[in-house]
Amino acid sequence: MSTRKHDNDPVALLQGTLDLLILRTLLFGPQHGQGIARSIEQQADDALLVDHGSLYPALQRLEARGWIEAEWGTSDNNRRARFYTLTKAGRKQLVAETRQWRRLSAAIGRILGPEEA
Amino acid sequence: MWKRKRRTDEDFAEEISAHIALEAERLIEQGLPPEDALAAARRAFGSVTRTRERFYESRRAIWLHQFAQDLRYALRGLRHSRSFVASTVLTLAVGMSLVTVVFAILNAYVLRPFAVHDPYSLYSVAWRAQEAGGSTFRWKDYEQFLERHDLFDGVIAESVRRVSSTDRQLSIGFVSGNYFETLGARVVLGRSLTRADAPSPGGEPVALLSHQTWTRFFDADPTVLGRELEMNGTKMLVVGVMASEFVGLDDLPRDAWVPLTMAAVLGGGDLFGTKQPRSLRVTARLRHDVTPAQAQGSLNIEPFETKIVGQVDPVRATLTRHATPGRPSREGIAVLSPVIAAFVLVLIAACANASNVMLARANARHREIGVRLSIGASRGRIVRQLLTEGLLIAVLAALAGLAFAGLLLRLGMFLFVALLPPTIALRVRFVPLDFDYRVFAFACGVACVVTILFALLPALQATRLTLTDALRGQPSGGVRSSTLRNLLVTGQVTVSLVLLIVAATLVRNGTAIQATNLGLDTRDVVSVRQYRDDRALVERAHRELVSDPRIAQVVVTSRNPLFGEPPGFLLRGPSGPVRGTFSFVSPGYFSMLGIPLVHGRGFSEEEAGLESAITIVSASAASALWPGEDPIGKTVRLEIEPRGKRLAVAEVVHELRKLGDESRPAIVATVVGVAGNAINGFVYTGPDPAHFYLPTSASGSRADALLVRGRTVSTTAESMKSMLLRAHADPTTFDVMPLDEMVTLQMFPLRAASLVGTLLSVIALALSISGLYGVLTYTFGQRTQEIGIRMALGASAAAVRRLVFVHSLRLASGGTALGLVVGYGVMKLLSTVIRLENVSVIDPGAFVISLVMISGAVALASYGPARRAVRIDPSSMLRADA
Repeated sequence: MSTRKHDNDPVALLQGTLDLLILRTLLFGPQHGQGIARSIEQQADDALLVDHGSLYPALQRLEARGWIEAEWGTSDNNRRARFYTLTKAGRKQLVAETRQWRRLSAAIGRILGPEEA
Repeated sequence: MWKRKRRTDEDFAEEISAHIALEAERLIEQGLPPEDALAAARRAFGSVTRTRERFYESRRAIWLHQFAQDLRYALRGLRHSRSFVASTVLTLAVGMSLVTVVFAILNAYVLRPFAVHDPYSLYSVAWRAQEAGGSTFRWKDYEQFLERHDLFDGVIAESVRRVSSTDRQLSIGFVSGNYFETLGARVVLGRSLTRADAPSPGGEPVALLSHQTWTRFFDADPTVLGRELEMNGTKMLVVGVMASEFVGLDDLPRDAWVPLTMAAVLGGGDLFGTKQPRSLRVTARLRHDVTPAQAQGSLNIEPFETKIVGQVDPVRATLTRHATPGRPSREGIAVLSPVIAAFVLVLIAACANASNVMLARANARHREIGVRLSIGASRGRIVRQLLTEGLLIAVLAALAGLAFAGLLLRLGMFLFVALLPPTIALRVRFVPLDFDYRVFAFACGVACVVTILFALLPALQATRLTLTDALRGQPSGGVRSSTLRNLLVTGQVTVSLVLLIVAATLVRNGTAIQATNLGLDTRDVVSVRQYRDDRALVERAHRELVSDPRIAQVVVTSRNPLFGEPPGFLLRGPSGPVRGTFSFVSPGYFSMLGIPLVHGRGFSEEEAGLESAITIVSASAASALWPGEDPIGKTVRLEIEPRGKRLAVAEVVHELRKLGDESRPAIVATVVGVAGNAINGFVYTGPDPAHFYLPTSASGSRADALLVRGRTVSTTAESMKSMLLRAHADPTTFDVMPLDEMVTLQMFPLRAASLVGTLLSVIALALSISGLYGVLTYTFGQRTQEIGIRMALGASAAAVRRLVFVHSLRLASGGTALGLVVGYGVMKLLSTVIRLENVSVIDPGAFVISLVMISGAVALASYGPARRAVRIDPSSMLRADA
């Protein structure tokens, strides 16, 4: 494993941000686990790396809190998959967490100052 | 919502495989060959097992699941080490049964409320006057309470008396008609007593039996209803049997209940006439919107004579909650706490023993624990597993302990009765001591505490190891572990030495007191006392007994010796105040009890008849008041109340008498003789410091009791009772008891305490022997090689034996020293509480005996290990090492 980091290497997710990203992804409609991971990576232009191993415990957690619901269904290419849907509570949670994240990143941005090359 | 929680591992696994399949398909679409795509998808996912584990652990019931796992594992492990389980369970069970017994007794007397409806609203009513207080009322007082519907939901009255029924004595509750209706206690047969049973004085000869009476005297006959039970010559119809859990509203169980209106018929006196006696105990059910203080404030009691005949004093009512048989008083707790502490100490000693065994076992399991750590078990998980094992053992021990406790309780009750003099033993009744949910809960609690006590330390110790050491089979932290074991043994030796010292002191005092010279010869002398405060009765009883050919001698006294502390006063002696005690006796008293007249003369019949102002003093009184002088002819002022002025009520508050108050009534008596010292009060306090005998006769004003000696030994107390029936038809009028039994009764507390103390210390000693034995066996098991080498180098068998004994002595010496110090401290503390002339609390002999016993125990414990050490074959040892 390389220890050096290059700009175009994918970055591991910050603790706690995966939940937010899952909720955000599900805003567009029901999706299965692999789809969620794929969608996050694509939207971030492959700059983020979703650890598939932690995705499922996270889904499990969100489901336990009642923010998402799950149901077995069939995928686009006719495979059985478990589809997750955002619940009403999940929507509220997404709004709250988004606001919080914005405030946090703005604050950190202010401290770090203007971007250097 | 609920569907989600019940999601299975399989479902989750399916989701993951779906994910991997989807990912692989995506990669194939991107142009990867199928076989590479699947591998890549798997790689991207990471460890499937780990994810599944995380899912598994996220479930809420995980700890329960793990607990079940641990339990299964523990069961499997323990099945393989039966002897370990048996010894540990047995050790702990003994300790736990002891504390369970203590708790069961405490539960029955203090914690368990009466088995009636809403016991916590019951209050007992008592009265308080300026200088006196008591808890009995007249019928008219009770009637007044009864009308206070604004305060009480119900008020009940009871008068407890003994009656005789064929050849046994029964304790009977004479109860008001509303008694059972107000209490709401359960009957198992027939009905309880009702208002209709107590219509008017003399009404309804019916009886409700207690469960004990039913089983003991009627063999639990289901057809007992309608049968008759004779009480003091009156036939009473049995109408019901009470449930076993209700035995009355105090700690002295009743044998039966009858209507209060039957009191006069059964010889209890007229309660309802113009001159009503104070004999009713009153219990009230307080309304829920009234506080006891409010009720106390608004209850009025018509003034009555509290202390002095003819003088009516204002009284006020007091209310005390009365939900359980016993109330924990401060004195009670002070007396009981060292006893309870002793029982708890034995349990702790047992835990130390079990802990030691667990330690040894954990050491032996080093490799197993090491392997489990190395394949990824966390330390917490292994500690939990070891604790589960401990809990399993503790629960088994608690169950065995409960069974033991039941046996022990029964044995205890049997011994209790067996140690009492027969006359008293016949009257002993126990409150129900059966185990209820409180006892079970207690046992469970003890099991948990015990688990922490005996299993936690070894578990922590066992998991404190490095992987490499463990796998190599090397017990790391060995130094610490042996220190721990030594500490445990030290604790055990300390506990057993302290208990031994206490027990030895008790036993030695017991034998010393048994050997005490009472100064009077109690053999074949029977005490006859009357309960009614009626002097005519004594005279009649005297007449009947004297005229009976089977009776050799009858003497009259104001009180019989050994029946409680004699009344007394303070006297001015040449070297400070002297406490004087007195008794009025008829002339034959001294010869009957074998009290020698060492100087002067006895009383004449004429003086006895006149109750002349003369006195015979005890030798101790003579030397305290007139040292070196001839006491004959001296006069002495004895502050004795004139007869009949003071109410003969036991409940009158004890009052301090001032020395030298000339206004007090007194008898100025001339000394005519000196008698040998005798114990008139309690054996524990020894001979009275100064006793004064004054003359009286059967017709005298001071005659209250009789002492009787039969012509032959066959004239027993029983036959005297039948003679006394001629003096009064009611057999419960007189209390007939051999003086010897009174001596036994006085010895009883010390004998019982000796027995309990001996039992506890023997158990503790056995525990320390086995604890010491265990440590020695373990230590020398580890040192086999060293000993083999020593022997190969020429150490003799004696030297090896010495090695073991010295090690064992060193182990025990710390505990012994500590035990001596603690034991001395305990006895010193006790000696400030117990001040009895005849009892030596700090007894050097007891310390010596205890030390000898501990040394014996050490020798016994090291005998086996020493023998085994000597048998070590040096050549095979050396070979094994190479």
